[in-house]
Amino acid sequence: MKSELVTIGHGSGGRLTQELTKRALSHFDVPKFQMEDCAFIDEDGLMAVSMDGFTVYPPEFPGGDIGKLSVCGSANDLAVRGVKPLFLTMSLILEEGLDMALFDRYMASAAETARGGAITLIAGDTKVVPKGAVDGIFIATCAIGKRASPNILGSAALQEGDALVLTTAPGRHGAALAAARFGLDAKDLESDCALLWPALEPLLKFEGLRSMRDCTRGGLGTALCEWAETSGFGVEIEENAVPSNKDVAGLCDILGFDPLYLASEGCAIIAIDWSWAKECATSLKENPISRDACVIGRVTRDHPRMVGMKTKIGGLRFIDMPVGELLPRIC
Amino acid sequence: MSEFFDRSRAKIDKIIETGPLTFMEVCGTHTVSIFRSGLRTLLPAGLRLLSGPGCPVCVTDQSEIEAVLDLADKDCIIATYGDMTRVPGESGSLLDRRARGARVEVVTSAIQSLSIAQKNPNSEVMFLGVGFETTSPATAVTIKEAYRRDIRNFSVLSLHKTVPPVLRALCARPGLNIDGFLLPGNVIVISGEEQYAFLAKLGKAAVAAGFEPEEIMAALTELSRQAACKDYKLCSYRLRDVPRGGNETARRVMDEVFETCGAVWRGLGLIEGSGLRIREEYLRFDAALKFDIEYKENKDTGCQCGEVLSGLLTPPECKLFGSACTPQSPVGPCMVSGEGTCGAWYRFNR
Repeated sequence: MKSELVTIGHGSGGRLTQELTKRALSHFDVPKFQMEDCAFIDEDGLMAVSMDGFTVYPPEFPGGDIGKLSVCGSANDLAVRGVKPLFLTMSLILEEGLDMALFDRYMASAAETARGGAITLIAGDTKVVPKGAVDGIFIATCAIGKRASPNILGSAALQEGDALVLTTAPGRHGAALAAARFGLDAKDLESDCALLWPALEPLLKFEGLRSMRDCTRGGLGTALCEWAETSGFGVEIEENAVPSNKDVAGLCDILGFDPLYLASEGCAIIAIDWSWAKECATSLKENPISRDACVIGRVTRDHPRMVGMKTKIGGLRFIDMPVGELLPRIC
Repeated sequence: MSEFFDRSRAKIDKIIETGPLTFMEVCGTHTVSIFRSGLRTLLPAGLRLLSGPGCPVCVTDQSEIEAVLDLADKDCIIATYGDMTRVPGESGSLLDRRARGARVEVVTSAIQSLSIAQKNPNSEVMFLGVGFETTSPATAVTIKEAYRRDIRNFSVLSLHKTVPPVLRALCARPGLNIDGFLLPGNVIVISGEEQYAFLAKLGKAAVAAGFEPEEIMAALTELSRQAACKDYKLCSYRLRDVPRGGNETARRVMDEVFETCGAVWRGLGLIEGSGLRIREEYLRFDAALKFDIEYKENKDTGCQCGEVLSGLLTPPECKLFGSACTPQSPVGPCMVSGEGTCGAWYRFNR
């Protein structure tokens, strides 16, 4: 029998990534592992830590680059649990032959993003590997922060009837990268890569705030599926209510992708008691990165552990967790 | 928008008072659009929709998939469309081969495989050409361009097929009770309507339409009307600006590079005149000759894709569906292809 191998699909978010994570965890004694975007490190849940690796190709894309992304990615994983990002550590793995001018550009971009978010770099590491061992530059960052929300946010707090508020049109990061990878000219398409904290912090005052997720790898669809699976509730959304970006929609039409499964890097889904939903959306609209915020659905007792969508034409369909890498269609 | 669907549904409801109707959507893009838009949940119970042999990946015979996988093991760079890379063979897919070190390149257009060949002058690059009238012109142009530029490390395995012969074969198949066909607008745009005129003569309703749910709903309404009134006449919905003869330039280049041949369809067997092979003038780009490809006999995996593709079974009626065959551990291509009917049932309709 042939050996099992890691495939690109294992890294694409969705079902295979979930399996890979479980497999890694099976080797550890993990009573306190939190299957959330970040983990609280003390009993009282005051301090939290997140960890993320960045291997994006191309490393520079419309709307950002790997430097900016490496700060936003880890910081956003804290922000969605009501944790203010304070500190950052960064590990750089560089390919022999990387142009120093590019290196400086990525670092300047990371530094500017950190400065903008008042996040301080406190430790780091550099490694250089032989040509071909990585693709230019890989970055891993760890963000550390302090909880600012009164309660601990997470999928365990979801309740029946909660409203789901989305901050912006999903899929812009994934679409911008797909356009670059497949050589499509989409000059208006920009990654949404941004720090979420400034938009999310004002929401912490709402008592009914339950849980937030950033819709990164695997997209909004995967985030919703994970909520449904971990909470045991059903989730339903209305396609008409989900903000749409015409350039993302156009690219998805050409390549056969679904915007629900494309990654975002500055988009969050928020579960909040229905009575606070309107205030939540209004508050988000004050920040330019979430000015299209709106209620897109709710948590329900119907179809437990499954995500359903009422489609634009009034039909129904399930949203399943994607399996494997997103591949463009044939015709 | 839903008012249009309510109205159309009411029309179909009235038409099918006289008896239920069954139509086949031939193209995988239609299948996915019908599921993704939720259209299936809006249709009256008396209107049955079956998916046909119109997903390029799904109709590729297992023996051909095994031959390509063998080639990937022999240091040949395989360039092909994304969906093709997921199709499982006896021991994994092209993506699994890539994880083991094989060179598999996903392209969105055939012509991109020429750049891959030019960037890798010391390797053989084979473009795996699948698809119908919508993709074969692009393959033909690529072969002509390879000829013009004299690219010698490049070849094409043409598994291209054409739609009319398989529809003819399906109509002749015993046990298949189909009142009409929803035809893919993108194929008609290339091939023109004329080639489908035989459907009316065989007493089948036929409407070609684009892939938006409104277009599909309008086409289903017209199909129902034709079938109920026995007023069979091929028509195209919202394709009025398309010349009736189709795209002559595309057809000319196809004819120049390809000639028709018998082709084996997964689960359906050999259908005469349904394949496209490379003409003599361009034979040096024929991967089948270049690598002396031999097709082995298929092993029985229990996959019932053939019955599904010919409308004899719906995916949940296959004994493997959802248990032995899922998107994570697929047995047949219909479960992994983005346009495969089993995958669409599994993803959108459980």
